[in-house]
Amino acid sequence: MSEPSRGAAGAAIVAAALTLPGVAPPALAESAPERTVLSLGYLNYQDSQPGLKRITVNAPSLGLVVPFAGHWAIEANAVGDSVSGASPRWHSSISSASRMQDFRKAGDVRVTRYFERSSIALGTAFSSEHDYRSQAISALVKFTSDDNNTTWTYGAGRAWDVINPVNQVVVDARKNTTDLMAGVTQVLTPNDIAQVNLTWARGRGYFSDPYKVVDNRPDSRDQAAVLLRWNHFLESMQATLRTSYRYYGDSWSVRGHTFTAEWIQPLGHGWSVAPLARYHTQNAAGFYYDPYYDPVLGPPYPPGFLANPNGLYSPDARLSAFGAGTLSLKVANAIDRDTIVDASLSFYEQRSSWRIGGNGSPGIAPLSARFLQVGLTKAF
Amino acid sequence: MQHFGFEFAAMASRCEVRVAAPAQDLAERWARAAIDEVRRVEVKFSRYRDDSIVTRINRAAGASPVECDDETASLLAYAGTLYQQSDGLFDITSGVLRRAWDFRAAVVPTPEALAALLPLVGWSRVERDARRVRLPAAGMEIDFGGFGKEYAADRAAGAMQAAGAVSGFVDLGGDIRALGPQPDGAPWTIAIQHPRRAGATVASIPIAGGAVCTSGDYERYFERDGRRYCHILNPRTGMPVQRWQSITVVAPLAVAAGSLTTIGMLLESDAPAFLARAGLPWLSVDRDGTVGAHQL
Repeated sequence: MSEPSRGAAGAAIVAAALTLPGVAPPALAESAPERTVLSLGYLNYQDSQPGLKRITVNAPSLGLVVPFAGHWAIEANAVGDSVSGASPRWHSSISSASRMQDFRKAGDVRVTRYFERSSIALGTAFSSEHDYRSQAISALVKFTSDDNNTTWTYGAGRAWDVINPVNQVVVDARKNTTDLMAGVTQVLTPNDIAQVNLTWARGRGYFSDPYKVVDNRPDSRDQAAVLLRWNHFLESMQATLRTSYRYYGDSWSVRGHTFTAEWIQPLGHGWSVAPLARYHTQNAAGFYYDPYYDPVLGPPYPPGFLANPNGLYSPDARLSAFGAGTLSLKVANAIDRDTIVDASLSFYEQRSSWRIGGNGSPGIAPLSARFLQVGLTKAF
Repeated sequence: MQHFGFEFAAMASRCEVRVAAPAQDLAERWARAAIDEVRRVEVKFSRYRDDSIVTRINRAAGASPVECDDETASLLAYAGTLYQQSDGLFDITSGVLRRAWDFRAAVVPTPEALAALLPLVGWSRVERDARRVRLPAAGMEIDFGGFGKEYAADRAAGAMQAAGAVSGFVDLGGDIRALGPQPDGAPWTIAIQHPRRAGATVASIPIAGGAVCTSGDYERYFERDGRRYCHILNPRTGMPVQRWQSITVVAPLAVAAGSLTTIGMLLESDAPAFLARAGLPWLSVDRDGTVGAHQL
């Protein structure tokens, strides 16, 4: 037997099993209008710090796109995942890793109306954990130039979050976020596409981590980001190179730079591989404190805490100064014209010493994560 | 929400439906939907029943084609995919080899006895279109034993969900399909049977949805001259597999998980490469009893 067909065998069997009548959840087993697209995914995520296996996530997901009445499309996605593991020990010197277990439900629906040279999409989303609830609405408008070479995109959204931690540090704490985006995509040559996206978000409300003993963050966060993309198709290799750079800044004094490159190489017979590399570097938030503790109170209290107990503090490593790298490989196979299966494996590593453009925050153990994702997309 | 468990016997196995429900009568109604569906699948596809579609297809072997309904045609198409993707190892016509293997008498068949049956094995020769199927030679037979139980578990879970259940699982002799997590969001913990010690387990796997299935050399077997002969037979040689004591696969559907465990057993030394490429979590118990966890 040839190698390629073997490689996809497991995924092909899952895909074939899904076509059996009545085995998938009932909402999906019912026949939908023509060219309905069903996607099914499975994500396994695990992160760790040296000597501690931390969080494992198993997340099956389902997505459905149903076109109706020619110019309309409706999309829905649902994901449910269970999370089990020891809770983050952001400062590795604090070794009391407690167990956490949580379950997240999330879903979104988006309706799009297509016109001759434009489209309007309205969406709503929700996400719920036992201690966190989020609802959001969004709108996205797209215009395309007469020669089809330029596309302008404008979006706006609003999210309402309610936080109810089990330790009741706060009750019904709120956080509201408004975001705006504008972007332009330009076809430069038949083989080159460039894109510029600007996003801006303004958040007000409760941003602290209720499960950390010392975590008091500002009650507002304004964020801005610029994303530059360039996609190039190499005819000689029939491959696509996707590159991007993102600059991020916020009112907490975090500045970040992210570089991404992905190579998509078709191999024939419906196969393609896509290796990806990403590097991110950022400085620390103004109120982030290093794991050096108050000589009197000891961990986790920062030095001088007694003199200013209501000051802004956070030990969250995501707000520290660090560099991070991601390496990933995705393999996809078009089993037939209507069915694509894909699998990807990604490794993420975050280290203080990997920061470029300044020193990383001291005293934090490296964080590693592994993502495994399998997916199936089928058009009917 | 309370947990309710309903045990029953079907498909020659001990089975259970577990469901979380606000009240007993609702739990009973949901379990009833699941158990009825298991019975329906069992009756329709049993090779032991005179009136089943499988019996009709087998009786017409070497004669005329048999008309199939959509469900049967879907299962036959799925069997075709399994045959193709396993390089011919998963073959629903291989059940004929049981005529030579008598596990109760514990006798190893002679090479001649197996050689006489092997020409009757061969899915590639089955004539099939969307509506009809014909076994080309008298004496050939098919059965859905390789994935029928798992298919029933998926269907039963679907029937329960259609009736309104959201939290629970269907366990048909160790082939398990979950509807969703426990009401508090915790996953179900599925223990994996120890292949050599009844009542003992080798691992436990948490699942919040999807399925866990296990194939092993301990379900039906005999031992002779220090060698174990189990019921999973290689369709090319007619001989039992030997490489693994058991293989467990976690997949979105039981029917896929169950098929992959059987293919893993049949592939013997090639199973790790095959299952790694499938990208799904799996667990193996090697012939010396070593447990291997992969992406779990």
